[in-house]
Amino acid sequence: MSSVRPKLGPDVPKVITAWDVATGATVYRTQSGDWSQDLSDAETVTGEAADKALSAAVTDETRILDPYVMEVSDEGGVAGRETLRETIRATGPTTHPDFHKAERGVINA
Amino acid sequence: MYRYDEFDAAIVKERAEQFRGQVERRLKGEITEDQFKPLRLMNGVYLQLHAYMLRIAIPYGTLRADQMRTFAHIARKYDKGYGHWTTRQNIQFNWVALKDIPDVLDELAGVEMHAIQTSGNCIRNTTSDQFAGATAEEIADPRPWCEIIRQWSTFHPEFSFLPRKFKIAVTAAEHDRAAIRVHDIGLHMRKNAEGETGFEVIVGGGQGRTPHVGVTIRDFVGEDQLLDYLEAVMRVYNRFGRRDNKYKARIKILVNETGADEFAKLVEAEFEAQKDAEKIVLPQAEIDRISAYFAAPDFETLPEASSAFEEAKAKDAAFARWARVNTRAHKQAGYSIVTISCKPIGAPPGDVSHKQMEVTADLAEKFSFEEIRITHEQNMVLPHVKLDDLYEVYQTLEAAGLATANYELISDIICCPGLDYCNLANARSIPVAQELQNTFADIERQDDIGELKIKISGCINACGHHHVGHIGILGVDRKGEEFYQITFGGRSDEKAAIGQIAGPGLRAEDVPPALERVIEKYREVRSEPSERFIDALERLGHDPFKEALYAAD
Repeated sequence: MSSVRPKLGPDVPKVITAWDVATGATVYRTQSGDWSQDLSDAETVTGEAADKALSAAVTDETRILDPYVMEVSDEGGVAGRETLRETIRATGPTTHPDFHKAERGVINA
Repeated sequence: MYRYDEFDAAIVKERAEQFRGQVERRLKGEITEDQFKPLRLMNGVYLQLHAYMLRIAIPYGTLRADQMRTFAHIARKYDKGYGHWTTRQNIQFNWVALKDIPDVLDELAGVEMHAIQTSGNCIRNTTSDQFAGATAEEIADPRPWCEIIRQWSTFHPEFSFLPRKFKIAVTAAEHDRAAIRVHDIGLHMRKNAEGETGFEVIVGGGQGRTPHVGVTIRDFVGEDQLLDYLEAVMRVYNRFGRRDNKYKARIKILVNETGADEFAKLVEAEFEAQKDAEKIVLPQAEIDRISAYFAAPDFETLPEASSAFEEAKAKDAAFARWARVNTRAHKQAGYSIVTISCKPIGAPPGDVSHKQMEVTADLAEKFSFEEIRITHEQNMVLPHVKLDDLYEVYQTLEAAGLATANYELISDIICCPGLDYCNLANARSIPVAQELQNTFADIERQDDIGELKIKISGCINACGHHHVGHIGILGVDRKGEEFYQITFGGRSDEKAAIGQIAGPGLRAEDVPPALERVIEKYREVRSEPSERFIDALERLGHDPFKEALYAAD
């Protein structure tokens, strides 16, 4: 099953994101098909490659759930209409600095 | 307080073990997420933006000290050291790993707690007046009836596949602190002309994207007929409630579309048609057995006034203010009801750390017959504290960061988790609450403003009850930007009303100055300092306040 989020055009740079089944943590699909909690590890894809990556992710449901494509900038950072939501998913709630992933060493500087 | 019998205890223990097996199968890939999702939801496990969230039921908001200690332990061991009180008197843990949840449920079972009926299209946790059993305002303690409803509804096969979730609230006081008119069913305990105790039945209230105030369909149902009557309501809802559109599936839509009078006739016909064999026999002995668990604690016989209390107030102005704002009259002479605000200025409303939970448990054990209440306004209550002990309670709360004196004032804000946590939210709500608290932090100013209920939701599902805020704030997404729609005139008490939208939405940074203008307008136009904001709004209409809201444009 895949989460329903806003549709993105084929040329828009994107990554596959999901949740880790065991912990519920936000994860991103890497080039090797593994999953990382660090957005900078994610593979940026467009067009058919994005469709293939999402299809592969959907079958990986022992490890992750509800994968979907999210928009990123050319440099791989969070971008687009859902920037705030995806920034919060990537870094943690804005209201608890102690829970910020960068503070906890989860996100590479 | 109610205690489990051996059957209750076995059921929750078995439920935890069942879920352990289900989680193991999910983690091994033996079942898919589609197969697992209904199982986890039936155990209160949601998936939020960046973690699982576990919602645990606190029946009618009543807790024992040892149960609070278990929450503290769970917060420390399995979460990030805190929990969050919800607007249905429950607790949510926002960071629990799925692999740990069977252990958490096992720990909860050890103190007669669980997460059943906290999700899904069933009858959810029955809520009540947080002052039940302590206030002199009520005609009876409503909690035995909440417990009877809980026992009747849990695992009832007719109610396990309702069109949508279903929420019941019960009060027995004229002043409604339980928001019964914005519940699917609200029950108001009444006495009839013969002096018998029964219930006014209010149906079809609710918030969400289509808010409605409930309507009374029966002025009085006797205690012995309550469950039969509720069953009649549920059967009509089960039969005619829509299942084709989840946004039109709540009973409020059915009542509104059918018409209250016609809906009442359908219920009465169903009630009359119940065969004798179907009737739920609720023997007085069983009512008495359950009521006995809620018998008044062993109060001391004390004078109305306490010299220790008066002396402490005279020497400590901050204590005097806290006592005036956060305590309420108790039915027993020499005792007081204490509201512990979980709204310190600038902190997420309703969040409590594990240390604060332990302190509250200590206080409950030492000063309040081990009892704690959780309110739908996201605060805690020590229901039975001697006036003689209030100063020590206050000093302990002060040391734990729990002595904010703002109960029912402008900074006592209801707030949903919003986009910082929730997968459904469109906008953040906690930062808006924090900014408003900072704006109105001055205690003398808060006192001067008086009772004013601000309620904030991060989406139209209205978990933050914005529809019934004197000032409601709804976060909306406009092409990726957060905007906030302001409503005026909502209330959830005995004069329940849905707030009206004031006009165009505001950017987050514009909300505090806009509300400051509204408050200044209120102070300017109120007839006297004791006229509350909501009363001035009703007397003068919304226009002066709308003009103030948008005066900067």
